[in-house]
Amino acid sequence: MLTCDQYHMPTSLADALVLWQDAPEGTQLVAGATDILPWAREGRAGDVHLPAMIDLSRVPELDGYTLDDGRIRLGANVVYQQFLTDEKLRALLPCMPYCSVWFADDQIREQATLAGNIVNASPAADGTPPMLALNGELEIARLENDDIARRNIAIDDFIKGPGTTDLKPGEIVTAVICDTLEGYGGSFQKVGQRRSLVISSVCAVACIKLDEATGKVADIRLALGGISPVPLRLTKTEQLLTGKRLTREMIVEAARQPADLVASRTRREYRRVVVRGFVEAAIEDALADCGAAVPDAETRETADV
Amino acid sequence: MMGRKMRGRGMAASWYGIARTATIDRAGAWAELDDGGTGKIVTGVTEIGEGILTLLAQVAAEEMGIKPEDITIGDNDTARSPEAAHAGATRQTYMIGNSVALACRDARAKLDKELAEHWDVEADSIEAFDGEIWSKGSNLKMSMEEAVDICKKRGVVPVGSGSFTAHGTGLDPVDGSGSPWQAYVFGTQVAEVEVDTVTGEVQVLGIWAAHDVGRAINPRGVEGQIEGGVVQGLGQALMEDYQLEDGHTKTHGFAKYILPTSLDIPEINTVIVEDPDPKSPLGAKGIGEPALVPTAPAIMNAIYDAVGVRITSLPATPEKVLAALQAKAAAGQLEAAE
Amino acid sequence: MSEQTPTDLQLEFQINGRNMKRRAQPHQRLLDFIRDDLALTGAKEGCGAGECGTCSVFVDGKLVKSCLMPVAKANGTKIETIEGLAGWGGDLTPVQKAFHKTGASQCGYCIPGMVMAATSALRENPKADIEEIKERLGGNICRCTGYTKIFEAVEMARDVLSGEANAAVLEADGAGKSYIGNNVRRLDAPSKVAGRLRYAGDMVMPGMLHMQVLRSPHAHALIKSIDTSEAENLPGVACVITADDVPGEDGFGVFVHDQPIMARGRVRYVGEAIAAVTADDMLTAVRAASLIKVEYEPIAAVFDSEEAMQNGAPVVHDYAPDNIVKHIPIRKGDVEQGFADADLVVEQSYDTQAVEHAYLEPEAGIAYVDHDDVVTVVSPSQNITHHRHMLAKIIDRPINKVRFIMSPVGGGFGGKEDMIYQGMLALSAMKTGAPVRLVYTREESIISTAKRHPARITYKMGLKQDGRITAVSFRMISDGGAYGLSTEGVMRKAAILACGPYNIPNVQIDTYGVYTNNTPSGAFRTFGAMQSQFATESHMDICAEKLGLDPFEFRRINMMQNGAVTHTQQQLGSVSIGRVLEAAEKASRWETGPVSMRGQERADLGGDDTRPPCTLGARFRKPGDDDRQEVA
Repeated sequence: MLTCDQYHMPTSLADALVLWQDAPEGTQLVAGATDILPWAREGRAGDVHLPAMIDLSRVPELDGYTLDDGRIRLGANVVYQQFLTDEKLRALLPCMPYCSVWFADDQIREQATLAGNIVNASPAADGTPPMLALNGELEIARLENDDIARRNIAIDDFIKGPGTTDLKPGEIVTAVICDTLEGYGGSFQKVGQRRSLVISSVCAVACIKLDEATGKVADIRLALGGISPVPLRLTKTEQLLTGKRLTREMIVEAARQPADLVASRTRREYRRVVVRGFVEAAIEDALADCGAAVPDAETRETADV
Repeated sequence: MMGRKMRGRGMAASWYGIARTATIDRAGAWAELDDGGTGKIVTGVTEIGEGILTLLAQVAAEEMGIKPEDITIGDNDTARSPEAAHAGATRQTYMIGNSVALACRDARAKLDKELAEHWDVEADSIEAFDGEIWSKGSNLKMSMEEAVDICKKRGVVPVGSGSFTAHGTGLDPVDGSGSPWQAYVFGTQVAEVEVDTVTGEVQVLGIWAAHDVGRAINPRGVEGQIEGGVVQGLGQALMEDYQLEDGHTKTHGFAKYILPTSLDIPEINTVIVEDPDPKSPLGAKGIGEPALVPTAPAIMNAIYDAVGVRITSLPATPEKVLAALQAKAAAGQLEAAE
Repeated sequence: MSEQTPTDLQLEFQINGRNMKRRAQPHQRLLDFIRDDLALTGAKEGCGAGECGTCSVFVDGKLVKSCLMPVAKANGTKIETIEGLAGWGGDLTPVQKAFHKTGASQCGYCIPGMVMAATSALRENPKADIEEIKERLGGNICRCTGYTKIFEAVEMARDVLSGEANAAVLEADGAGKSYIGNNVRRLDAPSKVAGRLRYAGDMVMPGMLHMQVLRSPHAHALIKSIDTSEAENLPGVACVITADDVPGEDGFGVFVHDQPIMARGRVRYVGEAIAAVTADDMLTAVRAASLIKVEYEPIAAVFDSEEAMQNGAPVVHDYAPDNIVKHIPIRKGDVEQGFADADLVVEQSYDTQAVEHAYLEPEAGIAYVDHDDVVTVVSPSQNITHHRHMLAKIIDRPINKVRFIMSPVGGGFGGKEDMIYQGMLALSAMKTGAPVRLVYTREESIISTAKRHPARITYKMGLKQDGRITAVSFRMISDGGAYGLSTEGVMRKAAILACGPYNIPNVQIDTYGVYTNNTPSGAFRTFGAMQSQFATESHMDICAEKLGLDPFEFRRINMMQNGAVTHTQQQLGSVSIGRVLEAAEKASRWETGPVSMRGQERADLGGDDTRPPCTLGARFRKPGDDDRQEVA
């Protein structure tokens, strides 16, 4: 059971930062609160008492999104459901609807934020691999002499390991900033033990754009989650495919590499095999999503069987 | 060669015994034809979800000749109702249903006797249904409300009781011989699956479930029991796994103990087969437990049909299925090399 | 705990159309607030972790899981609960009526949340197709219905709301000629779809106290001492009970009364009850339980059933030095001769896992001593008759001074046949003179209550080349866990039904239930028959493949006929196995062929009576988009 002495709901970023800076030891920031309540239960943290909780969901500076020169600033209060319901977001971030629809369920998606999911730094977080693929960074605010100071940090640098990040005392994540990829095909692969409320064993994201004239890969983004202490961008694989006209063999070959990156302590062999199939499937589904032909889709076979 | 998604089918048969095992089972009930032509029944049972209250109301309505919605059912309370014992062992319809039928017949017999005298007809000419009561072969007919009123004015409250017995015998301690149940049911299910050879994930797309229930008192309720049983069977077949490590659970909550969701379940096609039980008034047997017996083996047999791997240890998780596929591929390569 | 005084929240909100201003404690969840403070108990707590959906409510028009929402977030919002959908005394909504009509509620515990999810699905997209409906219900678990009737209800409601179907489809079917064989709508459904039915955990009584149980962190340990003084001295605590407070003969179980209502000098599994605190409120009870000091001396434990059967294994119960709860043997014919006569002998072993009942209603109950000094326990017990017998002995009262009332059961499946907590409730009510309520958390329910017996089965079958079975030897070892509960009966049923509905002249069946220091195993829908027949039916297919036979054909060759003699030598009357085989074969359009990996060649796959594979994203799939994304 989670108990606390104070529950604050600041209504401006400045107020939130002041509360957070002055908060007693052990105070927790919450956004959607969908992770902290299940955490404070038997089998996980057990009964937890906090001196205070600071709820950021009423801070208007964290709401909504803005566009700037091929990048989007997603306020830290943007929840997963928006990637499904907001037509514009769906077009700008073509992999995110597929990621979002796999995330928890419709009800939790109404509460849970993308920023919160990234900040928790779980190896199995669904939202982090897509943001890595989209060159995501976090915008972080703190107080400096009563003024709001900000810094930006690449998500890759921010996440240090399972549950550990670069967030410093007094800091609040205010936004996720990433590339917009309108016109790309997007896809998201995930496997767990069932089809809803799934905790992923492995997930993979792909975004792809073909050169209209040549049919060659103009840009491709690939990332994996669930296979190592932190999610991984597949830069080498991307480089291998960029500028190429994709063939079946090329995709199979490209999918062969990342299996060696699997560093999970558990279920390693399973994840190695799945990763290979997932990278293939992610590329092919992203191709299909942008209306491109999938090379030799008819003859597709599993590599190992 | 295999594609990514492979389909297949499997089947399994089953049998099951109705009510308590290898013992004499018994249950009691009270009934009353009440004012306004309504009915009251009291049994030591309440709903655990299977639909027993509705079923008892149907049985009582049929036996009393009134409407199910006019039946009031007393609560399950050791101080206020006769013994019905436990809600389990697929015994509710068989034991409680039959005891209620007997209690209602007893109450109706008292009413019919008074009404027969009132009408000056033979008691066995009296029939009732849906709130009306009449003497067969005459134009004598009235509402049950009037009939109860007449009965009471003649000084008789139409109450009844029933006790139903199922005669099982214990097993011999050496060779196990004995007659554990007086009623048996049988079932067969077919499963159709799709196996994802990249992830090892199994989706069950269709189940055909044919079960003998004796007699279906409420066919929709029977379907509901079969559908629920199939999905519990599917859960055990594919995902559910209570895990312990040195006695400590690793599956504390529903995030770790995985249950089937609305996206994991097949189209379920039920076929109700009726082979009435000759040893009981209703002819009904039961369906609660037997519905899930054949599901898991039918799914495992379907996985084999799809991809040629036999999972002999439940549950068939994606990881287990994929490992089996790899072992099979490795064995195949070895064979090819030899 | 911090010394700081919690600062209450001041909340203004609208609930079910009514404006309200209330104080709340800062840690409360929206679910606690609407259930405990507003007495709206339609929303249930099934898991407390957002994993089941029994607590779904609308907040500003969006459906959320109220167990995941701190109540402060509801300030200034409009909340709609299941009670507000139709309103008290109001007509049910088309969604609720459709649930009533199709039989979509069984135990009903998930149903308020499920009705809310269905309502949300149709509000979000009134034209949602079945796949989108399934996705939108994906956060709500149902353990009883298999979801099928729920889907039917949502589609029916959708069609009525859109005008595509006449509202008359929601009404009752006629009486016809008989109420037997009639789809009479469930009488309990209106109270369930409207959230009106009160389960034990929804019930309150004036002056009611709350109980928290202290549980063992050890699998096997001696209890050297229990010091409850600090807990008892905490303001708000009414009493603390331990095994020392039991006045009578302490022990419950279905076949052997080997389990004390709280550990007596020794714990045998992790999660076993040690003591129970009764206090004015839950927080105090929880805090007091943490102040109880127990001194344990861990002793050797055994976690594997086969190891437990070995000589020298740690003994779980002194009365059973071999750790065997029950061995059931069945013998018919001469099994060795049967194998000698066989053309083919097939051996294989099988394993089944421990399974949790996962009824959505965690254990709960209220006990009180009434004006006539009758100790009364209200709980979702599946066997009040037997519980009354046992409790009378345990508390040493005449049987008519003990009363059990069976509250609506939010799913049982055998898991509520054991008197696992009612004894603690009764003792506390006797000791305090007040009504006492206990509501398990999901984690408590999982850790401390019985599971389906895991089984290890060794199977040997002898066959003639023409497909006839000549002999079976079947051996099943089941982990019964720390206490006996229903293990004896489970072993008996598993054994009797082990070899399936087949004529087998020679059988040798042995089932063993074994004590270990694992979570106890108990009654669970099929009572052992699922485990044993899983092995049989898997084995039948393995043998059919070896013989080159179709699986239906192979079973027909061996099936029992009318008048058959069973493995326990009972003569049957009518036997319907032939009919159900034929019915399933016909309904499924089964393509006959020998068992093999023949999925690729079958022509009977993918009919209208199957569903398409689930590929998430139904809501944004483009119309006519056949090549839908295979999101694995």
